[in-house]
Amino acid sequence: MAGSSQQKALSRIAANRLQKELTEWQLHPPTGFNRKPTDDLQRWIIALDGVPDTIYAGEHFELQVEFPEHYPMEAPQVIFTKPPLHPHIYSNGHICLDILYEAWSPALTVSSICISLLSMLSSNTVKERPPDNDRYVRNCKNGRNPKDTKWWFHDDKV
Amino acid sequence: MKVKIIKWHAVGVWTWDAGEDTCGICRMAFDGCCPDCKFAGDDCPLIWGACNHAFHLHCILKWVNSQSPQPHCPMCRREWQFRA
Repeated sequence: MAGSSQQKALSRIAANRLQKELTEWQLHPPTGFNRKPTDDLQRWIIALDGVPDTIYAGEHFELQVEFPEHYPMEAPQVIFTKPPLHPHIYSNGHICLDILYEAWSPALTVSSICISLLSMLSSNTVKERPPDNDRYVRNCKNGRNPKDTKWWFHDDKV
Repeated sequence: MKVKIIKWHAVGVWTWDAGEDTCGICRMAFDGCCPDCKFAGDDCPLIWGACNHAFHLHCILKWVNSQSPQPHCPMCRREWQFRA
Protein backbone atom coordinates (compact mmCIF):
# COMPACT_ATOMS: atom_id res chain seq x y z
CA MET A 1 0.00 0.00 0.00
CA ALA A 2 1.16 3.55 -0.56
CA GLY A 3 1.94 4.27 3.07
CA SER A 4 0.52 7.27 4.84
CA SER A 5 3.90 7.47 6.59
CA GLN A 6 5.61 8.72 3.45
CA GLN A 7 2.83 11.20 2.73
CA LYS A 8 3.26 14.89 3.44
CA ALA A 9 0.99 16.45 6.03
CA LEU A 10 -2.09 18.30 4.84
CA SER A 11 -1.63 21.95 3.95
CA ARG A 12 -3.68 24.42 5.96
CA ILE A 13 -6.07 24.84 3.01
CA ALA A 14 -6.49 21.08 2.67
CA ALA A 15 -7.10 20.61 6.40
CA ASN A 16 -9.61 23.43 6.38
CA ARG A 17 -11.56 22.02 3.48
CA LEU A 18 -11.48 18.45 4.87
CA GLN A 19 -12.76 19.63 8.23
CA LYS A 20 -15.72 21.14 6.39
CA GLU A 21 -16.30 17.90 4.50
CA LEU A 22 -16.16 15.94 7.73
CA THR A 23 -18.72 18.21 9.40
CA GLU A 24 -20.98 17.93 6.37
CA TRP A 25 -20.49 14.14 6.33
CA GLN A 26 -21.47 13.89 10.00
CA LEU A 27 -24.66 15.83 9.32
CA HIS A 28 -25.54 14.14 6.02
CA PRO A 29 -23.54 10.98 5.35
CA PRO A 30 -24.17 9.43 1.91
CA THR A 31 -26.69 6.59 2.27
CA GLY A 32 -25.05 3.21 2.86
CA PHE A 33 -21.65 4.64 3.86
CA ASN A 34 -20.23 4.69 7.36
CA ARG A 35 -16.97 6.46 8.20
CA LYS A 36 -15.04 4.75 10.95
CA PRO A 37 -14.39 7.30 13.66
CA THR A 38 -10.68 8.17 13.88
CA ASP A 39 -8.65 11.24 14.71
CA ASP A 40 -6.83 10.99 11.39
CA LEU A 41 -8.26 13.61 9.07
CA GLN A 42 -5.85 12.60 6.31
CA ARG A 43 -6.94 8.97 6.05
CA TRP A 44 -10.59 7.98 6.11
CA ILE A 45 -11.78 4.38 6.41
CA ILE A 46 -15.32 4.02 5.12
CA ALA A 47 -17.56 0.98 5.35
CA LEU A 48 -20.07 0.44 2.59
CA ASP A 49 -23.12 -1.84 2.46
CA GLY A 50 -24.22 -3.47 -0.78
CA VAL A 51 -27.51 -1.89 -1.87
CA PRO A 52 -30.65 -4.04 -1.44
CA ASP A 53 -32.04 -5.35 -4.75
CA THR A 54 -28.62 -5.20 -6.43
CA ILE A 55 -26.19 -8.09 -6.91
CA TYR A 56 -24.24 -6.81 -3.88
CA ALA A 57 -27.17 -6.91 -1.44
CA GLY A 58 -26.08 -8.08 2.01
CA GLU A 59 -22.33 -7.69 1.27
CA HIS A 60 -19.98 -5.35 3.10
CA PHE A 61 -17.04 -3.49 1.63
CA GLU A 62 -14.46 -1.07 2.91
CA LEU A 63 -12.77 1.94 1.33
CA GLN A 64 -9.64 3.83 2.25
CA VAL A 65 -9.35 7.47 1.21
CA GLU A 66 -5.99 9.20 1.65
CA PHE A 67 -5.63 12.91 1.03
CA PRO A 68 -2.55 14.56 -0.48
CA GLU A 69 -0.90 17.69 0.88
CA HIS A 70 -2.62 19.87 -1.72
CA TYR A 71 -6.11 18.43 -1.66
CA PRO A 72 -8.46 19.39 -3.35
CA MET A 73 -6.15 20.61 -6.12
CA GLU A 74 -5.00 16.99 -6.30
CA ALA A 75 -7.28 13.94 -6.15
CA PRO A 76 -7.34 11.75 -3.06
CA GLN A 77 -6.07 8.18 -3.34
CA VAL A 78 -9.12 5.92 -3.15
CA ILE A 79 -8.82 2.14 -2.87
CA PHE A 80 -11.03 -0.67 -1.62
CA THR A 81 -9.49 -2.42 1.39
CA LYS A 82 -12.34 -4.95 1.13
CA PRO A 83 -13.12 -4.92 -2.59
CA PRO A 84 -16.32 -6.07 -4.30
CA LEU A 85 -16.17 -8.35 -7.34
CA HIS A 86 -16.63 -5.85 -10.16
CA PRO A 87 -15.21 -5.57 -13.71
CA HIS A 88 -13.62 -2.19 -12.84
CA ILE A 89 -12.24 -3.08 -9.44
CA TYR A 90 -8.98 -5.02 -9.17
CA SER A 91 -8.44 -7.64 -6.48
CA ASN A 92 -5.84 -5.36 -4.83
CA GLY A 93 -8.57 -2.74 -4.38
CA HIS A 94 -7.52 -0.38 -7.17
CA ILE A 95 -10.50 1.23 -8.92
CA CYS A 96 -10.74 2.12 -12.60
CA LEU A 97 -12.85 5.29 -12.38
CA ASP A 98 -11.89 8.44 -14.27
CA ILE A 99 -12.90 10.98 -11.61
CA LEU A 100 -10.23 9.53 -9.30
CA TYR A 101 -7.53 10.34 -11.81
CA GLU A 102 -7.48 12.62 -14.85
CA ALA A 103 -11.14 13.68 -14.56
CA TRP A 104 -10.69 14.81 -10.95
CA SER A 105 -12.18 18.22 -10.14
CA PRO A 106 -11.66 20.20 -6.92
CA ALA A 107 -15.44 20.58 -6.74
CA LEU A 108 -15.74 16.84 -6.05
CA THR A 109 -15.89 15.63 -2.44
CA VAL A 110 -15.54 12.36 -0.54
CA SER A 111 -19.35 12.22 -0.58
CA SER A 112 -19.62 12.67 -4.32
CA ILE A 113 -16.92 10.02 -4.87
CA CYS A 114 -18.90 7.62 -2.67
CA ILE A 115 -22.06 8.27 -4.68
CA SER A 116 -20.18 7.59 -7.93
CA LEU A 117 -18.82 4.33 -6.54
CA LEU A 118 -22.26 3.29 -5.35
CA SER A 119 -23.73 3.94 -8.76
CA MET A 120 -20.86 2.01 -10.37
CA LEU A 121 -21.70 -0.96 -8.14
CA SER A 122 -25.46 -0.71 -8.44
CA SER A 123 -25.49 -0.65 -12.23
CA ASN A 124 -23.32 -3.75 -12.49
CA THR A 125 -24.92 -7.07 -13.46
CA VAL A 126 -21.98 -9.53 -13.49
CA LYS A 127 -19.65 -10.25 -10.60
CA GLU A 128 -16.27 -10.59 -12.25
CA ARG A 129 -12.78 -9.15 -12.03
CA PRO A 130 -11.31 -6.97 -14.79
CA PRO A 131 -9.98 -9.19 -17.63
CA ASP A 132 -6.37 -8.06 -16.93
CA ASN A 133 -6.66 -8.43 -13.15
CA ASP A 134 -3.81 -10.89 -12.58
CA ARG A 135 -1.31 -9.02 -14.73
CA TYR A 136 -2.19 -5.66 -13.21
CA VAL A 137 -2.06 -6.87 -9.63
CA ARG A 138 1.30 -8.56 -10.28
CA ASN A 139 2.67 -5.27 -11.59
CA CYS A 140 1.50 -3.49 -8.46
CA LYS A 141 3.34 -5.81 -6.09
CA ASN A 142 5.74 -3.16 -4.85
CA GLY A 143 2.95 -1.05 -3.47
CA ARG A 144 2.12 1.10 -6.46
CA ASN A 145 -0.20 4.06 -5.94
CA PRO A 146 -3.19 3.70 -8.33
CA LYS A 147 -2.76 7.39 -9.16
CA ASP A 148 0.52 6.40 -10.88
CA THR A 149 -1.25 3.91 -13.15
CA LYS A 150 -1.92 4.94 -16.74
CA TRP A 151 -5.63 4.09 -16.87
CA TRP A 152 -7.72 3.38 -19.92
CA PHE A 153 -11.37 4.33 -19.47
CA HIS A 154 -13.00 2.34 -22.19
CA ASP A 155 -16.24 1.05 -20.74
CA ASP A 156 -18.96 3.46 -19.65
CA LYS A 157 -21.71 0.88 -19.16
CA VAL A 158 -21.02 0.12 -15.49
CA MET B 1 -45.06 67.63 14.72
CA LYS B 2 -41.71 68.73 13.47
CA VAL B 3 -38.81 66.37 13.91
CA LYS B 4 -35.29 67.59 13.73
CA ILE B 5 -32.69 64.92 13.08
CA ILE B 6 -29.56 65.69 14.94
CA LYS B 7 -27.58 62.60 14.25
CA TRP B 8 -28.07 59.39 12.30
CA HIS B 9 -26.19 56.19 12.02
CA ALA B 10 -26.32 54.20 8.78
CA VAL B 11 -25.52 50.53 8.53
CA GLY B 12 -24.75 48.99 5.15
CA VAL B 13 -24.48 45.34 4.13
CA TRP B 14 -22.90 43.89 1.05
CA THR B 15 -23.00 40.53 -0.64
CA TRP B 16 -21.61 39.01 -3.78
CA ASP B 17 -24.24 38.31 -6.41
CA ALA B 18 -22.96 34.87 -7.35
CA GLY B 19 -26.07 32.69 -7.31
CA GLU B 20 -24.31 30.24 -4.99
CA ASP B 21 -23.36 30.71 -1.35
CA THR B 22 -20.06 28.89 -1.21
CA CYS B 23 -16.99 28.50 -3.37
CA GLY B 24 -17.00 25.03 -4.98
CA ILE B 25 -13.24 24.73 -4.47
CA CYS B 26 -12.58 25.71 -0.84
CA ARG B 27 -16.23 25.37 0.35
CA MET B 28 -15.92 28.66 2.23
CA ALA B 29 -18.72 31.22 1.98
CA PHE B 30 -18.45 33.68 -0.90
CA ASP B 31 -19.24 36.44 1.56
CA GLY B 32 -16.24 35.28 3.55
CA CYS B 33 -12.79 34.85 2.08
CA CYS B 34 -10.70 31.98 0.79
CA PRO B 35 -8.55 30.08 3.34
CA ASP B 36 -5.49 32.10 2.36
CA CYS B 37 -7.03 35.48 3.19
CA LYS B 38 -8.08 37.32 6.30
CA PHE B 39 -10.50 39.86 4.83
CA ALA B 40 -13.45 39.35 2.49
CA GLY B 41 -14.45 41.76 -0.25
CA ASP B 42 -11.90 43.55 -2.41
CA ASP B 43 -8.99 41.68 -0.79
CA CYS B 44 -10.42 38.31 -1.82
CA PRO B 45 -12.61 38.91 -4.86
CA LEU B 46 -14.81 36.52 -6.80
CA ILE B 47 -14.21 35.81 -10.45
CA TRP B 48 -16.56 34.37 -13.06
CA GLY B 49 -15.81 31.98 -15.86
CA ALA B 50 -17.27 32.22 -19.36
CA CYS B 51 -19.53 29.37 -18.20
CA ASN B 52 -20.87 31.69 -15.44
CA HIS B 53 -19.48 29.65 -12.55
CA ALA B 54 -17.97 31.79 -9.80
CA PHE B 55 -15.05 31.05 -7.48
CA HIS B 56 -12.74 32.95 -5.18
CA LEU B 57 -10.11 34.35 -7.53
CA HIS B 58 -7.34 32.84 -5.38
CA CYS B 59 -8.95 29.38 -5.48
CA ILE B 60 -9.54 29.18 -9.23
CA LEU B 61 -6.03 30.51 -9.93
CA LYS B 62 -4.51 27.65 -7.93
CA TRP B 63 -6.56 25.16 -9.94
CA VAL B 64 -5.99 26.76 -13.35
CA ASN B 65 -2.24 27.04 -12.73
CA SER B 66 -2.02 23.36 -11.80
CA GLN B 67 -3.74 22.21 -15.01
CA SER B 68 -1.99 22.00 -18.33
CA PRO B 69 -2.43 22.43 -21.16
CA GLN B 70 -6.11 23.25 -20.85
CA PRO B 71 -7.81 23.84 -17.50
CA HIS B 72 -11.49 23.01 -17.11
CA CYS B 73 -14.18 24.55 -14.94
CA PRO B 74 -14.38 22.51 -11.70
CA MET B 75 -18.19 22.65 -11.81
CA CYS B 76 -19.11 21.95 -15.46
CA ARG B 77 -15.82 20.75 -17.00
CA ARG B 78 -16.05 23.21 -19.85
CA GLU B 79 -12.78 24.77 -20.92
CA TRP B 80 -12.02 27.45 -18.37
CA GLN B 81 -12.02 31.02 -19.69
CA PHE B 82 -12.28 34.10 -17.53
CA ARG B 83 -15.50 35.96 -18.31
CA ALA B 84 -14.69 39.13 -20.17
